[in-house]
Amino acid sequence: MDNPLYVTLARLTSLQRQMDVVANNIANTSTAGFKREGTVFAEVVEPLAEEGGSLSMSSDAATYTDLGAGVMAETGDPLTVAVLGDGMLAVDRGGETLYTRDGRFALSPDGELVLLATGEPVLDAGGAPIQVPPDAAQIAIAKDGTVSADGLLLGRIGLYAVATDGLERVGSGLFRAAEAPLPAEQPRFAQGFIEQSNVNPVIELVRMIEIQRAYERGHALLQAEDDRINQVTDVVGNTN
Amino acid sequence: MRALEIAATGMLAQQTRVEVIANNISNVGTTAYNLRRAEFADLLYQQAQHAGDVSSDTGTVVPAGIQLGLGVRTAAVSMQSAQGTLRQTNGELDLALEGRGWFEVQLPSGDSAYSRDGSFKLSADGQIVTSEGYPLVPQITVPEDARSISVNADGQVFAHFEGQAPQELGKITLASFINEKGLEARGSNLFTATQASGDAQIGDAGTEGRGTMRQGYLEQSSVDIVSEITQLIEAQRAYEMNSKVITAADQMLAAANQVR
Repeated sequence: MDNPLYVTLARLTSLQRQMDVVANNIANTSTAGFKREGTVFAEVVEPLAEEGGSLSMSSDAATYTDLGAGVMAETGDPLTVAVLGDGMLAVDRGGETLYTRDGRFALSPDGELVLLATGEPVLDAGGAPIQVPPDAAQIAIAKDGTVSADGLLLGRIGLYAVATDGLERVGSGLFRAAEAPLPAEQPRFAQGFIEQSNVNPVIELVRMIEIQRAYERGHALLQAEDDRINQVTDVVGNTN
Repeated sequence: MRALEIAATGMLAQQTRVEVIANNISNVGTTAYNLRRAEFADLLYQQAQHAGDVSSDTGTVVPAGIQLGLGVRTAAVSMQSAQGTLRQTNGELDLALEGRGWFEVQLPSGDSAYSRDGSFKLSADGQIVTSEGYPLVPQITVPEDARSISVNADGQVFAHFEGQAPQELGKITLASFINEKGLEARGSNLFTATQASGDAQIGDAGTEGRGTMRQGYLEQSSVDIVSEITQLIEAQRAYEMNSKVITAADQMLAAANQVR
């Protein structure tokens, strides 16, 4: 008898989570290299006791990462780079390789090219950090990712074709890949630019309104169902 | 409902951004002011269901998992070391730096601070000092009877006298840092070295990547008002969007409260 309540409850719970995902997207509209998250709903079907009957509930089966490109913005800072096309930069976190689209760099005190957000070294095409000499006046990053300082070749920024399957977010714009990715074909970079967040605020706000209204409808259904059960107990229980 | 806290982190981040922009705009006339930018990064993710978990006894795995982000954080307020335009002042102790490098000055505590503001003055005893009266390092004293002072591109300081050959008083050296973004701002256009910036490397102007000096000019603030105002509009709208999320989440909770 409680099935309508549970179906609604399943829907409401997943709507709440979807709201959290939308809130996180909106909170990150100004985060360079941020990739928006989406939710996937799936139907959970349960057979019922009577012949041919089944009960269908909705469940948020997964969140996925939308790797679509963000808008490029000019920074004029030589230590920012935007990746054009597909592929991700690799950084080293204590021996583990993580991947990111965030091309805001800085130099560590010992001259390594590091991520500004976390201070972790950016890896070159061979998986080694890139060392910049202390007396470098001008750091240039070419279209193919070649880093040079005053004409001296320092290395090439690695770009990897990371698969979306099994991509795990670890925060600070970093991702953990399920399998070690292959180097991307034809890497292309733009120095002095950053890739902005790929969150489209209008779409997120519309989605938010949809979620909110669906949530309110769910509660109206709960209310109606509660009233119905009340009436049933009144009518059936009234033996006079 | 996490949405409330997540949107709050978004509002806080945009607030920080507006504060940084306000500081940039108020320093549009500050000599050698370096533009600052608030840089954001996403917060940690809660893994409600791990990608790669085995989903059946035939060995299939969950391809995407459920990952719930917890909002945004300010990762850095970084200094953009862009060259400001040079403005001619004709002041003989106005020095502009073209290229990388910092003037070293001595704080009253004896520690070194670094500045790109080259609007120097003379102290009562003829020393070259900053606008705050902190002496330039290496210390250079100008004789009382000098008619004029000239500084060349390499930082050599000469005093000129009536009817005499010019006399070299010393050489202004420049400091450079491997990571300028790691310098700590101390106000009054001064910076100090930190673990992140690395130690100062002192050397002559025009060597090892350091820039050169130009007498009679000052480096202007690198703030571009148009770009700041654009950023301000963006920040304000993003702030409003986050507040909309809070309103919506609040209304959802209100709907939940109205049941029964």
